[in-house]
Amino acid sequence: MNDIVWLTMRRMRTPLILMIIVYSLSVFGMVLIPGQDAAGREVDVGFLDAAYFIAILATTIGLGEMPVAFTHAQRLYAYLILFPNVVAWLYAIGTIISLIVDPQFRAVLARSRFSRRVQRLNRGYYVVCGFGNTGRMIVKGLLRRGISAAVLEREPDTVHSMALDEDFAHLPALAGDVTDRRLLDMAGLDPDLRHCLGVIAITNEDHANLTIAITAKLLRPKLPVLARAETQRVADNMASFGTDLTVDPYSIFAERFLLALNSPVKYLVQDWLISVPGTRLRTELDPPDGRWIVCGVGRFGSRMVRQLERAGMPFTVIDVHPDRVAQQKGSVLGRGTEATTLREAGVESAVGIIAGTGDDIDNLSIVMTARELNPALFVVTRQERPLNDQLFDSSGADLVARRSLIVARRILAIATTPLLPVFLDHLLSQDERFARTVRHRLEAVLEGLSPGLWTIDLAGEWANSIRAATHEDAPVRLRHLTENARLPGAEDLPCVCLLLERGSLRTFLPGHEEKVLEGDRLLFAGRDTARVEMLFALREPTVLVSAATGRPQPRGALMRHFARKRAS
Amino acid sequence: MHFEKVIFGFFIVLALTLNFGFFLGDMDNPEHHHAMELGAALAVSLIATIIKFGDRSQLGAILLATSLVADLQLLVAAFLWAWAVHVAGTGLTSETLASIVSLSGGALLANLVSVTLLVAETITIRR
Repeated sequence: MNDIVWLTMRRMRTPLILMIIVYSLSVFGMVLIPGQDAAGREVDVGFLDAAYFIAILATTIGLGEMPVAFTHAQRLYAYLILFPNVVAWLYAIGTIISLIVDPQFRAVLARSRFSRRVQRLNRGYYVVCGFGNTGRMIVKGLLRRGISAAVLEREPDTVHSMALDEDFAHLPALAGDVTDRRLLDMAGLDPDLRHCLGVIAITNEDHANLTIAITAKLLRPKLPVLARAETQRVADNMASFGTDLTVDPYSIFAERFLLALNSPVKYLVQDWLISVPGTRLRTELDPPDGRWIVCGVGRFGSRMVRQLERAGMPFTVIDVHPDRVAQQKGSVLGRGTEATTLREAGVESAVGIIAGTGDDIDNLSIVMTARELNPALFVVTRQERPLNDQLFDSSGADLVARRSLIVARRILAIATTPLLPVFLDHLLSQDERFARTVRHRLEAVLEGLSPGLWTIDLAGEWANSIRAATHEDAPVRLRHLTENARLPGAEDLPCVCLLLERGSLRTFLPGHEEKVLEGDRLLFAGRDTARVEMLFALREPTVLVSAATGRPQPRGALMRHFARKRAS
Repeated sequence: MHFEKVIFGFFIVLALTLNFGFFLGDMDNPEHHHAMELGAALAVSLIATIIKFGDRSQLGAILLATSLVADLQLLVAAFLWAWAVHVAGTGLTSETLASIVSLSGGALLANLVSVTLLVAETITIRR
C-alpha cells in the first residue's frame, strides 16, 4: 500500500507543481483585470469568480464568461492563459494515465493486492509455487479438503486465466519470479502469517524447486516443504537440508510398479487410498511373470529397468541410443514403433511391454503395434502431456505413468492427511493378509468409487463430547463414531477406520469396541456422507454422549441439572 | 550547490514569508489584510506540499505533515472568506476577518515548524 502512494507521489510531483503555478498565476491575473457590466460601470472580478472561471477554462469545459460578459482586455488575457492552463492540465492527466498503465506500477499494485489477500486468509493454506497441471490438481484437491492456497506462478497468462475459473478466482495468486525471496515472504514465509501450513514447490524446473525449498527451510525452518525433484541429485540435495518430502514422479511410479509385480493386492489398496476421491476404483491388476520389453531407457525407462532387475524379471531393451543399447546384452537398436524392431526384441514371447520414450505419440504407436503382434501383452506406458489423457485412456494400456498426476497425488496425500503415509508404510511392511483384510473392509463400503480420506483430531473443541461422556463415566467407543447418530437404528456409516494414533501407540484397523479418548487421532477412509455425519456427531454436544450412555441426554443447562438430580 | 535544494528551500521559506505577510496587521482591520496575499500564501503552500511528496525519511514525513496542516488552515480561511463575501452576503465583517487571520496564524505556526526543521536538518548535515 505504502509503495503505491509513494510511487504516485513521486511521479505526480512535477505535473502537480506546474499545474498549481499556472493555475494560481492565472487566477491572480484575472483578479487584477477589472471587468465592465452592461451599463459600462467597472466591476471587480472576485477570487471566487476568477478561480471558477480558470478551472472551467483549464479543464476545457468552458461554460462561458462570468460573472458578466468580458471586456476586450479580459478576453485577451483569457486567450493568453488558455494554452498554458490546458497544457498543464493535460500533462497532469497524461501522467496519471501513464502511471496506471505502467507495468512497474501494475506490478506493485498486484503485489500489494496479493499480500492483502494472503493476510486476509482465515484458514490454513499452502503456498503453491508453480501452477501448471500439477499445481492445478493440487490446489483443487486442497480446496476440496477445506484448505486454501496462495499461488505463485512464473507465467502471467496462467495467473490471469485463474481469475476466469470459479474454483480459483478467490485465491491469492501472483505472477512473478517464484524463487524471489520477497514474494515467498509475502506468500507465507513471514512468521506473522500463522495460517501458512507449508510450501509446495512444483515448478517445471528442478533448480527453481531447489531454490524455493532452501529459501523456505532457511527462513522458516519449521514449515513443511514438499517439493518435486526429477533427478536423484536434486532429490538428495533437497533431503540434505531437511526438505520434508521430495517427489520424483518416475521413481514413485517405478517403485509402485515393483509393488504391483510383487503383490497386486497391496498395490490395489494403495492405489485406492491415494487416488482422487470419487473416481472409479481399479479392481483387477495382475502383471504377469515373464520377459518384459522396455522401449526407451531414459529417465523413466532406466528406473523401470532397475525395478525389473530387483523383481528378478528378464527383460529386453529397445532404444535409439547406441550407447544405451551397448550397455545391456541382447538389446535392440531402434524406436520400437515399427513391427520389425518389436519382433526382433521377441514381442511374441514377451509377457509385457513398457513404452517409456519421451514422446507421447511414439508411446501410443508402440502400444498399438505391440498389441497387434501380441494381444495378451501387459502394457505400461508413459504419458508426458496432460492434453493426451483421452488418447491414453482409449489406448487400453494397463498402467499409465502420468507425471503430474503422480506428483499431485503424492503431495496431496501428505498435505491433507498426515496419517496416511504411516498407514501406507504399515501396509507395505505387513504380509498380504493385512492388505486383503483392508481390501475387503473397503470394498464393502465404497460401491466402486475411490474413497475420501479424513483425519479426526480429538483435541480442543472436537473433544467436547468425549470429555462430557467421560464425565458421565461412559467411555466413547469407536462404533459410536461410525454409527449413524441421527438414526437410532444404528446404521453403519460407509467408512473404515484405518488407524488410531494415541501418543506413540498406533493401532491399525482398530475394532468397533476400541475406546476413543481425548487426544487420539483417527484416520478414516470412506464415502463423503460418512465424513459429514461424523463431523456432525462430534460437533453436536449430546449425540455422542447419548450414544455412549445409552440414554438421551438433555441439552439445556436446566434440564441437565434436573437429570443429574434424578440420577443421584 | 544543488539546484533542487534551492527550489525546495525557496518554496518552503516563501510559504512562510507570504503567510507572515498576510498575518501581519490588525486582527480585524480589512485594510491590513489583502485577499491576494492569502491567495498567494495558499498557492505557494500547496506547491511546497507537493515538493515534499515522496521523501520517505522520518523528517520528510514530518515536513509533509506540517505542510498539510498549513494547507488545511489556509484552505479553510480562503473558504471562509469566499463564503462571507459571496454566499452569506454579509460582506467581510471584522469578526469573520478575525477568524480568517487567526486561521492563517495557525498556518504560520506550522510553516514556522517546517522551516525550523529544514534549518535543523541543514545544520546537522553540515556538521
